[in-house]
Amino acid sequence: MKQFVLASIIAGALALPAAAADYKIMAPAAPGGGWDQTARSMQTALQDEKISGSVQVNNVPGAGGTIGLAQFVNQASGDPAQLIVGGYVMVGAILTNASPVTLDQVTPIARLTGEYEALVVPAASDIKDMAGLVAKLKADPGAVSWGGGSAGGTDHITAGLIAKAAGVDPTKVNYIAYSGGGEALAAILGGQVTVGISGYGEFAEQIKAGTLRIIGISSDAKVEGIDAPTFKEGGVDVSIQNWRMVAAAPGISAEQKAAVLADVEKMVTSASWTKILADKGWANTYLAGDDFAAQLKKDTESTAAILKDIGLVK
Amino acid sequence: MSLDNQQQERRRPDWAALAIAALLMVVSVVIAWSTASHGAGASYARVGPTTFPYVIAVAFFGLSIWTVFEAFRGDFPAREKQEISPILWIIGGLAAQMLLLKAAGFSIATGLLFAATARAFGRGPLWKTIPIGIVLSFVVWIIFAKGLQLSLPAGPLEHLLF
Amino acid sequence: MDTFGLLAQGLLTALEPMNMLYALIGVTLGTAVGVLPGIGPALTVALLLPVTYKLDPAGSLIMFAGIYYGGMYGGSTTSILLNTPGESASIVTALEGNKMARAGRGGPALATAAIGSFVAGLIATIGLAFIAPTVVKMALSFGPAEYFALMILAFMTVSAAFGDSTLRGLTALFIGLALGLIGIDLQTGQARLAFGIPDLLDGVEVTTLAVALFAVGEAMSVAASKGGDSTIQAIKGSVWMTREDWSRSWKPWLRGTAIGFPIGAMPAGGAEIGTFLSYSVEKNLAKKPEEFGHGAIEGVAGPEAANNASAAGTLVPLLTLGLPTTATAAIMLAGFQQFGLQPGPLLFATNPQLVWGLIASLLVANLMLLVLNLPLIGVWVRLLTIPLPWLYAGILLFATLGTIGANPSTFELGMLLAFGLLGYGLRRFGYPIAPVVVGLILGPMAEQQLRRALAISQGDPSILLGSPIAVILLLLAATAVLLPLYLRARGRGKVLAQLGANED
Repeated sequence: MKQFVLASIIAGALALPAAAADYKIMAPAAPGGGWDQTARSMQTALQDEKISGSVQVNNVPGAGGTIGLAQFVNQASGDPAQLIVGGYVMVGAILTNASPVTLDQVTPIARLTGEYEALVVPAASDIKDMAGLVAKLKADPGAVSWGGGSAGGTDHITAGLIAKAAGVDPTKVNYIAYSGGGEALAAILGGQVTVGISGYGEFAEQIKAGTLRIIGISSDAKVEGIDAPTFKEGGVDVSIQNWRMVAAAPGISAEQKAAVLADVEKMVTSASWTKILADKGWANTYLAGDDFAAQLKKDTESTAAILKDIGLVK
Repeated sequence: MSLDNQQQERRRPDWAALAIAALLMVVSVVIAWSTASHGAGASYARVGPTTFPYVIAVAFFGLSIWTVFEAFRGDFPAREKQEISPILWIIGGLAAQMLLLKAAGFSIATGLLFAATARAFGRGPLWKTIPIGIVLSFVVWIIFAKGLQLSLPAGPLEHLLF
Repeated sequence: MDTFGLLAQGLLTALEPMNMLYALIGVTLGTAVGVLPGIGPALTVALLLPVTYKLDPAGSLIMFAGIYYGGMYGGSTTSILLNTPGESASIVTALEGNKMARAGRGGPALATAAIGSFVAGLIATIGLAFIAPTVVKMALSFGPAEYFALMILAFMTVSAAFGDSTLRGLTALFIGLALGLIGIDLQTGQARLAFGIPDLLDGVEVTTLAVALFAVGEAMSVAASKGGDSTIQAIKGSVWMTREDWSRSWKPWLRGTAIGFPIGAMPAGGAEIGTFLSYSVEKNLAKKPEEFGHGAIEGVAGPEAANNASAAGTLVPLLTLGLPTTATAAIMLAGFQQFGLQPGPLLFATNPQLVWGLIASLLVANLMLLVLNLPLIGVWVRLLTIPLPWLYAGILLFATLGTIGANPSTFELGMLLAFGLLGYGLRRFGYPIAPVVVGLILGPMAEQQLRRALAISQGDPSILLGSPIAVILLLLAATAVLLPLYLRARGRGKVLAQLGANED
């Protein structure tokens, strides 16, 4: 008990003074993950820049964010003070989990950050480039094992898209799912799987050290600081971005939406946000309002199509 | 040991153990039925998402039969008589907390659980233990929700002071 | 500068009075949050990380290390005193630790856990500093087939916790395995046994099950029997460890460290497996194996050391390769980034000051934990002198607080209640509790590794015996199962004679 009291005094002294909440941000994931970090970074930036007096973050983990999304749609409807963080993974999870609530039911505000998918092989591999991989894939798709995140996630979707674009049956992709980034990376480094596919950040240090060779990146054009051809340059017409976004509640008025947009815009252009992005190594892929809504629609359609092709969604 | 067995063999079968056997059988059927209702999903592994569930369903089937045998042989340990009302108090306390958590907030809901548990152990009366529980839970809420940033639901009591 | 010079420099910085104070604050905060059942070190570090942002790099690094160690130790305290495991790696500690606490030996149990953690942390951190590259090479050679063999070896440990009936032990294990099936299948994305309930898609949370079976189930059981056989004796004999306790503890500490460190370093090992294996090893080597299940100090000393050593072990792939292999390591990675540390293969070369600073901080935080907790053991043990009604009311308050704090959902509390009833039922009919939890942890791991191995080999089962490591592990597992059977068969005459003698 003594410890609790001591702890509360210390932590109380360090915690920010409580005031009326201006924003309540839902992170539909457990504390510590990417969405949670995004929500808490927004909290820091919004408060430090005095855009909002007080921001609260609450976590509703589960089922790729769809549990949080369902709760948000039900409870936040019409409340302009409530926001939800989400990402591309949610698009896939909604489809594979047959979620009754979809992203059509929230008000998209902006895409905040994004990461491109990188395709890597161990340094000792005989695959040198995309063409080499495609040749192997065409010869015997089962002999090429792909290591990445959970089935139906961004990594799996990208693998399916690559196979399809290369003219190989996407259901024949021998995809080996790993539960965490570290586990997948270990399997690639240990030569357990033929190729690895995941967000560039997972591999960056290994690529720099020369233990992994990058054979392609999923961006539209070459990315500054990444010495790798795009998938398109490698002859495979695939581009994909694993983005994170913020959305507002359903049923808010146009003025309310504009106000939230303005606040988010102010936050994104602030010094605090720039510093957070730099510290965390996140790329700023800010895209707001209607442009983002259009992009979201496009992503949802292409994801639905590829998930059907892989056989994850009927 | 052998002496015990002989004594119990003369007893009628252990009905509770037979009920457990039936329950295990139900679990076996539910797992098998639920697994059969979705597709196998062809893969290179040949051991698909349905293999393990079927193995476990078969295991439950076997354990159920085994339990029936032991029930007739009287192999289950003797059970002392237990009272049912304390358990109902604890279940009630947990259910009250679960249902009231969102509406009434952490302190009130958890205070009720506290009082109900104390009641299960024969400590009362409730008009005394409920306020004690609520005050204690509120202190805990302040420490962990305000001090250490844990997200614990707030209700009218919490909003009154913060 | 050489290794020793850098480490010494790091230690000098960490031992400055101000930094020692930060370590103490970190350890205290970490213990306070980590003590909550269901909130393990990962969540503790995630929640408290912002506190460290406000300090200079050296100070925040050391406070961070303190939070980490405090969060880990907090889980053991509740396991021992309240039979409520704070996290999955301290489930095994509850088996023997709580039995000791109930017999008035909570003091020695807490002490052997604290000192064992310290010894293991010390050795493992030094191991991290000097043999990390070798260990990591070995860890990377583990593929799905080797992991599957390791899981099979770990499964044999369940039988150590079976109690007196094979039927009831197996039933408990299969209940755990069945619960492990629930949720989205990692390899195919299919929902299994979720019955269309979205809350079940992520499966059953190990800590929710453990807290419910151990704490809630026990509260019901004790209340229903009106305290009958569960009289708690807070202190009997010395609060401190006796000479016998010491002599029975030091070997398990060292063995636990030797088991936990390499398993922690394996990307898919996990801290729990080390604790399971250590428990089983100690039970097999104990001079008085009959004490297991009734409060054997070896069963606390070994697993606690293994738990801490494997925590240091997870830092091996994290610092040498940048591989975050556990949730805790992933959070630590996020923590490192604020210090400008980018873990990866080049880290030791590009950032030696910070790496050695971190290692020194870990050593100092480990020491502070011991300094803080040994004097407090007397206070902790007195928790058990609280009258039963208030004690159990408090246990349920904190058990639900942990669950709510990790996931404030009505459904999760419903699962807590349902599994609490399951725990009561298991106790009532003489089923052991631990195999359920072990099945939930090991089942999904073993299944995923097996399916990965077979997918990579395109369905050829010979891959499972394809490497010497896998063969050795499987042989060990077979020996562990068959040897006792053989000995029993051979010694049957003797045992029967003894039984006959007892009946006179």
